Amino acid sequence: MKLSSWSSLALLSLLPSACVAHSQHTSNWAVLVSTSRFWFNYRHLANVLSMYRTVKRLGIPDSQIILMLSDDVACNPRNTFPGTVYNNADRAIDLYGDNIEVDYRGYEVTVENFIRLLTDRVPPDTPRSKRLLTDDRSNIFIYMTGHGGNEFLKFQDAEEISAFDIADAFQQMFEKKRYNEMLFMIDTCQANTMYSKFYSPNILATGSSELDQSSYSHHADNDVGVAVIDRYTYFNLEYLETHVQNASSKHTLADLFSSYDPVKIASTPGIRTDLFRRDLSEVLITDFLGNVQNVEVDGDGMILDEDLLALARSAGYNITEQEWKDAMTGGYHEKTKEERDTVVGEQRTWEGPAKVHKDRESDFWRNVMSAGAVGVCFVGYWVFSMIDKV
Amino acid sequence: MALRVPVNLRKNLSVVLYAFQGLSIVAVIVGLASLLLLPLDEYSRRTYISENALLPGQVHAYFGGSEQNIVRAFRREVDLLGNSTSDVVAERMAEIFRSAGLKVAKQRYSYKAAGGEYTGENVYAVLHAPRGDATEAIVLCAPWRNIDHLLNEGGVALTLALSRYFKRWSLWSKDIIFLISSDARAGPQAWVDAYHDLHGENIQSLSVKSGAIQGVVVVDYPGAYHRFESLHIIYDGINGQLPNLDLINTAVQISRDQMGLRTDLQEMWNHNDGYRHRLKTMLRGMVNQALGHSTGPHSSFIPYHIDAITLATHGDGWHDEGSLGRTVESVFRSLNNLLEHFHQSFFFYLLMAPKRFVSIGTYLPSAMLLAVGLTLTAIRLWVDPRSRSVGGDGGEVAKAEKTSEKEDLKSGKEGSGKVEVVAVDSGPKRELFLPMSIVIGVHFCGAIPFAVFNLVDYKSMASVFYVFIAGSVILPTLISVLITLTAAPHRLLPAFHLSRCFSLLFLGMFLSTLATLNFSLSFLIGLFSLPLTFARTTPKSIPLALVNSILLQLTSPFAALFAVAGYWGLGVEDILKEASFGWWVWGMWTPVIVWCVWWPAWVVGRISVDSSLVMAVMGKSG
Repeated sequence: MKLSSWSSLALLSLLPSACVAHSQHTSNWAVLVSTSRFWFNYRHLANVLSMYRTVKRLGIPDSQIILMLSDDVACNPRNTFPGTVYNNADRAIDLYGDNIEVDYRGYEVTVENFIRLLTDRVPPDTPRSKRLLTDDRSNIFIYMTGHGGNEFLKFQDAEEISAFDIADAFQQMFEKKRYNEMLFMIDTCQANTMYSKFYSPNILATGSSELDQSSYSHHADNDVGVAVIDRYTYFNLEYLETHVQNASSKHTLADLFSSYDPVKIASTPGIRTDLFRRDLSEVLITDFLGNVQNVEVDGDGMILDEDLLALARSAGYNITEQEWKDAMTGGYHEKTKEERDTVVGEQRTWEGPAKVHKDRESDFWRNVMSAGAVGVCFVGYWVFSMIDKV
Repeated sequence: MALRVPVNLRKNLSVVLYAFQGLSIVAVIVGLASLLLLPLDEYSRRTYISENALLPGQVHAYFGGSEQNIVRAFRREVDLLGNSTSDVVAERMAEIFRSAGLKVAKQRYSYKAAGGEYTGENVYAVLHAPRGDATEAIVLCAPWRNIDHLLNEGGVALTLALSRYFKRWSLWSKDIIFLISSDARAGPQAWVDAYHDLHGENIQSLSVKSGAIQGVVVVDYPGAYHRFESLHIIYDGINGQLPNLDLINTAVQISRDQMGLRTDLQEMWNHNDGYRHRLKTMLRGMVNQALGHSTGPHSSFIPYHIDAITLATHGDGWHDEGSLGRTVESVFRSLNNLLEHFHQSFFFYLLMAPKRFVSIGTYLPSAMLLAVGLTLTAIRLWVDPRSRSVGGDGGEVAKAEKTSEKEDLKSGKEGSGKVEVVAVDSGPKRELFLPMSIVIGVHFCGAIPFAVFNLVDYKSMASVFYVFIAGSVILPTLISVLITLTAAPHRLLPAFHLSRCFSLLFLGMFLSTLATLNFSLSFLIGLFSLPLTFARTTPKSIPLALVNSILLQLTSPFAALFAVAGYWGLGVEDILKEASFGWWVWGMWTPVIVWCVWWPAWVVGRISVDSSLVMAVMGKSG
């Protein structure tokens, strides 16, 4: 196996990204917003902290989570259990534990800040933790909760964001190539109206209740003295906790959405797919709620990398800079192909980046199969694109 | 004074007069009927919690178990101190509070009213919210002796026990003040006045204070017997002001739904939620509101815009201090949840069952309509030609009328496009001086009974009152005799007519204003004043004058005083003493309104009725 197979493999890996660019993302981000103030809205903070816990559990690092908490219920004097937030009366999990990074806190959670965050129109001195540093290959999960109404969501106690504002912000994100795909989830009263105005592509949206429907809390903790979670979020979490155990879970959004039971949720959850191109049964939940696992390499293969070279040398390979460059570029391949036969087994020499050892016959067939696979893919792609056009 | 009516009505004023009379009668009837409709399901509403922050009954209340033994121990303490002087009591209470680790202070006060001296010593303790910011406070109050002068054993013991119990929780967002007032009427007033630095000279300032008081719960649990049947929620404040309905709803919801404790209002112990019981509850509430007196320690807080209620135990049942303690605990957890002052729900309402009420928008029209009835009558009297002094210079009047008629015709021709209206005011002038001076003079006289009854000793109260009644009966007759003797005969009738007009106009306007502040008082005075709308000067019909006179006597302020005394089974002097005490201690306005608004209106009414007799006797009928 030499560069021929390498290039074919590279081609293979490039292929899907070139053909079905929308299914491929290279980073995952989450924007989790609770917009309500005051102690009696404890459950909204618990909602959002539950989602925070979930996305963190599935691998999205804090650096890629923007957590907006509109109030600090954990430190509210009324809290029976100071410094904690629970989403269940069993108080099994302290959502406010010791590993939490709140990016926007209290009165920083405003409509303006939220839209600036989405569209990245932030002052130059804004720290990275308060910016959504996404690109056109980022999948973003946006979760919002608070008190909403027909086409609006109340922020704090003073202002509200309208469905049009969010739709326009998303369009701007699309124009600025700030996302690949987006999952918008909202748990408020009349939540489904909030995504009704979206018009930008590749957005999948789901909400807790229809127009003129209220969303209800699930249950109250009689020691904390407030409702601790909303129904829609509760049943989402229940599914995620019981089914999506880790980031390699193969459960799809179709599975999640079909788990919604309007009777249990006490409102009619909505799903909006018309802007989204993929079939939901092919979209993994972890495409949005988990962190991306596949790595894609930029540029024309491996070029000289000082660090890598140093690493190779420290591993005991006797290798010059020229040899490294040659290994990384085309010409080296034919030359060493013959040479290699002679040196096989004699001494440890640099043979290019890590590879699995294979004998020559299989190498040939492997090349043939690779080429065949490429061919099949091309044919397949052509056929499907024809079907798509029809 | 240019009341304008279409020109053809000018010839025939009786249409206008009948219309006004009809309107005022309709207004009164509709007003009365609408009050009686209020208890119906269609007009009243179920109560609901308007303030989201309260979350009543959503917390477990843990007071009970061993805490009950502590309550019983404190009960014994209170029992031992039962007949001690207030400073001994205050010292012992302070000791107990101090031992619970609270900041304690005492306050002496002394009031003088109706020849009596009311002294005592309040003691209170402040529990600083461990994680709060000390800008707000809630008060748990227990009077040493309750409003009926019974030793409030259970209430004080419970307050002491709760002070220890609350201290153990760290979830308070507001400071909690535990107040043991020396009595139920003067003590809380002295304390709340001093808390806001508005106290008189004989009242000590408070050495320890906390933040703005957001709510007050008073526990009234007298007697040595532990068990009770239901909770009586008392809510009337001074001058008929009421606490926010949310506070009452919270207490009702917690005690009923969370604790399974029946709640009663206005001493209606067997409320079946039927029409009669609802009406009765509402009327009792209206009487309390109209009197504007203190119905418990909570009443004194309400004028300071502090929402307060008294939870009084009633009857023999299976509930004990644990139930009451848990109820108070849960109410305090709800108050603790408040984020701002009570403001969401109603401040003006009539409760007719623990869970049914009418708000001001629904009930206000009935009192307003009574006041409107009076005002319409006043307008009718003004329009009536009898308000003009015709007779002495009749020729001149007729001339004036003719010229004005000509002018009207002219103007009618010239301004063909204009609506043809002329002032009814043409014709002989009204003589305003005499009626005005009658009305104003009588109103000034109102200051006399007001001053007298607030200054007189309790012992001589009854005799002074009877002298005053005699004076009040004679005064109108005297005035009418005086006027009849001095004034020209043709001016007499118009003068009495117009004095009624002004007096009714003033009363009507005053009552409609009052209705927005103290609906019940306005309504009741309006009701008692109804005879004033038809009791007029009838020199030609002595029997009618006599009937009117008797009617007026029956609906006089004195009759009302006797009615109130009878309602409570007290002597008139006790009511007057209460009024005097109310004025000096609570700043109660009811006596001002009775003596300076209602009594003068009644006297003016009596003058016009009596004058018919006087005129008949003197042969000046006209």
